[in-house]
Amino acid sequence: MSSYLLRRVLAVIPVMVVVVTIVFFLIHLIPGDPVAVMLGPEATPSQIQAARAGLGLDRPLHEQLFTFYARILRGDLGHSYFLDRPVTRALAERAEPTIVLTLSALFVAVAIGVPSGIVAAAHRGSWWDRGLMFLSLLGVCIPGFWLSLNFIFLFAVRLGWLPAAGYASIWVDPRTALTYMVLPAVSLGFNQSALIARIARSCMLDVLQQDYIRTARAKGLSPGVVTYVHAFRNALVPVVAVIGITTAILIGGAVVTEIVFNIPGLGRLIISAILRRDYPVVQGVVLVTAAAYVIINLLVDLLYAFIDPRIRYD
Amino acid sequence: MTGSVVFRKAFLVLAAAALAAGTAVPPALAQVKGGVLRVGNLGEPPALDAHWTTASITETLTNHIYEGLYSLDKDKKPIPMLAEGHTVSKDGLVYTFKLRQGVKFHNGKEMTSDDVVASLVRWGKQSIYGKALFAQVTDVKAVDKYTVDLRLKEKSAIVLISLAVPNNFGAIYPKEIAEKFEPAVKATEYIGTGPYKLAEWKPDQYIRMVRFDDYKSRNEKPNGYGGGKTAYADEIRWVPVPEVATRVAQVETGELDFADDLNLDAYDRIKKSTAARPIVAKPYYWLVAVFNKKEGLMTNQKLRQAWQAAIDIEPIMKTVAGGKSEFYRMDSSLAPVEITAWHTKLSGLPWNERNKDKAKRLLQEAGYKKEPIRFMTTQEYKWMYDFALLTKQQLEDVGFNIDLQVVDWATLVKRRNNPKEYDAFTTGIGAAYDPTHHVYLTAAWPGWNNDETMLSISAELARETDPKKRMALWERQTRLFYEKVPVIRYGDLFGMRAARNNVKGFDESNERLRFYNVWLEK
Repeated sequence: MSSYLLRRVLAVIPVMVVVVTIVFFLIHLIPGDPVAVMLGPEATPSQIQAARAGLGLDRPLHEQLFTFYARILRGDLGHSYFLDRPVTRALAERAEPTIVLTLSALFVAVAIGVPSGIVAAAHRGSWWDRGLMFLSLLGVCIPGFWLSLNFIFLFAVRLGWLPAAGYASIWVDPRTALTYMVLPAVSLGFNQSALIARIARSCMLDVLQQDYIRTARAKGLSPGVVTYVHAFRNALVPVVAVIGITTAILIGGAVVTEIVFNIPGLGRLIISAILRRDYPVVQGVVLVTAAAYVIINLLVDLLYAFIDPRIRYD
Repeated sequence: MTGSVVFRKAFLVLAAAALAAGTAVPPALAQVKGGVLRVGNLGEPPALDAHWTTASITETLTNHIYEGLYSLDKDKKPIPMLAEGHTVSKDGLVYTFKLRQGVKFHNGKEMTSDDVVASLVRWGKQSIYGKALFAQVTDVKAVDKYTVDLRLKEKSAIVLISLAVPNNFGAIYPKEIAEKFEPAVKATEYIGTGPYKLAEWKPDQYIRMVRFDDYKSRNEKPNGYGGGKTAYADEIRWVPVPEVATRVAQVETGELDFADDLNLDAYDRIKKSTAARPIVAKPYYWLVAVFNKKEGLMTNQKLRQAWQAAIDIEPIMKTVAGGKSEFYRMDSSLAPVEITAWHTKLSGLPWNERNKDKAKRLLQEAGYKKEPIRFMTTQEYKWMYDFALLTKQQLEDVGFNIDLQVVDWATLVKRRNNPKEYDAFTTGIGAAYDPTHHVYLTAAWPGWNNDETMLSISAELARETDPKKRMALWERQTRLFYEKVPVIRYGDLFGMRAARNNVKGFDESNERLRFYNVWLEK
C-alpha cells in the first residue's frame, strides 16, 4: 500500500508540470492585456507601455515561463497584478468559501442522491421510483444559474427567509454563515444529486439481484435489513467513485454559484482573473485546482480498499 | 468636522429651507449621522491611486478619499476645493494658488504646498489630463507653506478644468506618498484629505471607508461634485457584486442600500418596489464606433461618411435602452446637455441622416468593393454588442460588408492599440468637461485622429483663454467632426442605479456616485 501511495504521489509531479505549462501558454496566447484593463478605457499606448515594463510583461515569453517555474520551486506563485498581493495570499483568502461551499453542496448532493437511489431501487417500478428518477432528471437538466436566480427570487426577495447573496465565515459567525450557505449549497448540490441518485439506484439494483440477497430474503430477514445491511455496503464502491467525481465537479461548478451568490471564493477569483488577464492568479488557481483533483482521486482510490477489503493495491 | 461647524451648517440649511418653503418644519431636520451605507457595484477597482488609472470605478471610490485643488460645480465648471482661490499674472503665464489652511490628511498631517507640488508633479507624469496640462507647464513650485505657483510656457485655457476633472484626477497626496511611488507604479498607500478614509480593503469582498472626523469642509453648500461635504454615514461599504440580477435582488431585500450599474430591464421591477426606487444616471455614455484612421479601409474618409449617412440611430438607441425612452437621448452635440458650457445646438449637421442613397453614392465614390470591414465589439457590455449588431444590419442594407468580431473586453482594449488588427471598434464616450478632453479627437488615443486641421483647433482650444473665442472654435471643431468623421456619434445612453427609500440626500444630477452629503433615514 505504501509503495502504491508513493507512486501515486510522485505521479502528481509530471501532471502538475504539464497542467501549469499548458495553462501558462493558453493564458498568454489569448489576446488581451492586463495593463490595458487596469489603466482604463482612456489610457494611451505610452501609459500602457510604461506600466507593462513595470510588471515585466514586456520580457520574452520563455523568460517569463522560466521565472514562473523557478518561483514555483521556491513555493512562490507570483504576485497578482490586479490585487497587488502574493498569489498564495489571494488563494488562501479565498480557499475557505470554496471549501465550505463544496462540502456543503456535497452534503446536500449525497443526502438527496443516495437515499433517493436506494428507495428507488428498493421500490423498482413503483411511483416512488418514477417520481424520484423524474426529480433526478430535472436535476440534470436545470441549469445551475437559472436555479440559483430563482431560489434568490423566491426565498430571498419574495419570502424573505434567507439572504440573497453574500458570505460569512463559519469561524466568525456560524449561524449567519449557515443562512448564507443554504441557497448556494442547495442549488449547487441539487444539480449533482441527480448523478449520485441514478448511480446509486443502478448499483443497488445490480446488488439486489445477487444470490446472497435472495438467500438473505429466504432466511426471512426483513426487507429493511436486506436492503440497508446486506445490499447497501456492497453497492457502495461505485457510489463512492461517483461522489469523488462529484466533489471534483463541484469545485468547477462552484464558479457559477460563487458569481451568482457573490461568494468570494476561488471560482469567482479565477473568472475575475481571466477577465483581467491577471496571469499569475489564473496560473495559481489552476495549479491548486489541479492538485485538488489529483488528491481527491487518490483519496477515492484509498477509500475503495477501506469499503471493500477485497481490494488490494500491493 | 467640528461641532460648531456642524451646528452652523445645520442652522443655515434650516433657515434656507424655512425661507424657501415658508414653513416651520424644514426637511433638514431629517439629516442624521450614523449607519453603514452598503453600495453594490460591478467589480473591483484596479487601483485606489487616482493618478494612475482612468477606470471609472477608481474615479468613484477615490473621490471619497482624496480631493484636488479644484472640483466641478453642478454645471460642470471648476470651483475651488483644496485651493482657497487663485490669481493669474498679467501675461497669463503664472497661476498662483492659495491653499486652504488647516486641512488635514487622514494621517493627521496638515496639507501644505509641498504636498501639492509633489502630487501635481506625479499626476502630471501619469494622468492623461495631467500630461495634457503639464505639456504647457515649465515649473510648479511652493512659494510658501500655503502658496503654489504654476508657470506655463504659453497661455493656457485648461489649467483650472484639468485640476478639476474627477477622472484620473489631480488628487493631493502627502508628499511622502507622492514621491515614494513612481508615476508608472500604482500607489498602494491611501492617504487623502477627503471626508472618508480607507479602513479596510478585502478584494472581492468589500472596501470599507469610515468617516474622517477631522475633515475640514468648505463652508459653501454642496454644489455638483464640490462645495461643502458632510460624511453623514459612519461607514460606506462598497461591495462588489458581479452578477447584476443579484445586485437587483439585494437592493430589494435590503442587503444593499444602493446598487449601481443595473440592467435596464430591471427598471419596471424596481419602479414597482415599495422599498427601493430606480435612478437614471445621466449622461453615462454616448455610443461610438471608432475608426482606425492609421491603416486599412477606414482611412478612406468617404467610407466613414457613408457609414454616417447610412445609420438610423433612433431604433438602435431604443433597442440598446431596452425600449425605454427614459434611458436614451437623441443629440448630435459632442458634449452632453449636462455639460452646459460646451453643449452645442448646431443645425445642418449630417447626423442621423438615414439617407441610404447618399450612403450608396459615397460607397461608390470611395471605390469600395465589398471588402470585409473588421468591426470589433464585446458582449461583456451588452449595449456595445447590441448597437454593433444593429449597425451591421443597417450598413449591410446599403452595401457594406461588416465582419463583426466579438471578443472579450480585455482583448478589445489590447487590439485597439494595434492598427493592423481592426477597422472599427465600439466603446462609450463618457463626460468630457472641456473640448480638449475629448480623447477621440487626439492623435494618441486608439483610432488615431490624424486630421491636421482638427488637431490644430484642439491645440488652439488649449491656448485660447477667451470663452467666446473658445466656443467658436468648439463649434468649428464640431462641424469638422461631422465632415471628417473620425468616429461615429450615436445617441446618449443613460445608466440605471437603484436606492433604498431610506437613502436620502443623494444628488441624482451627478453622473458618478458621491455619498458624502447622503444620510440613512432611521
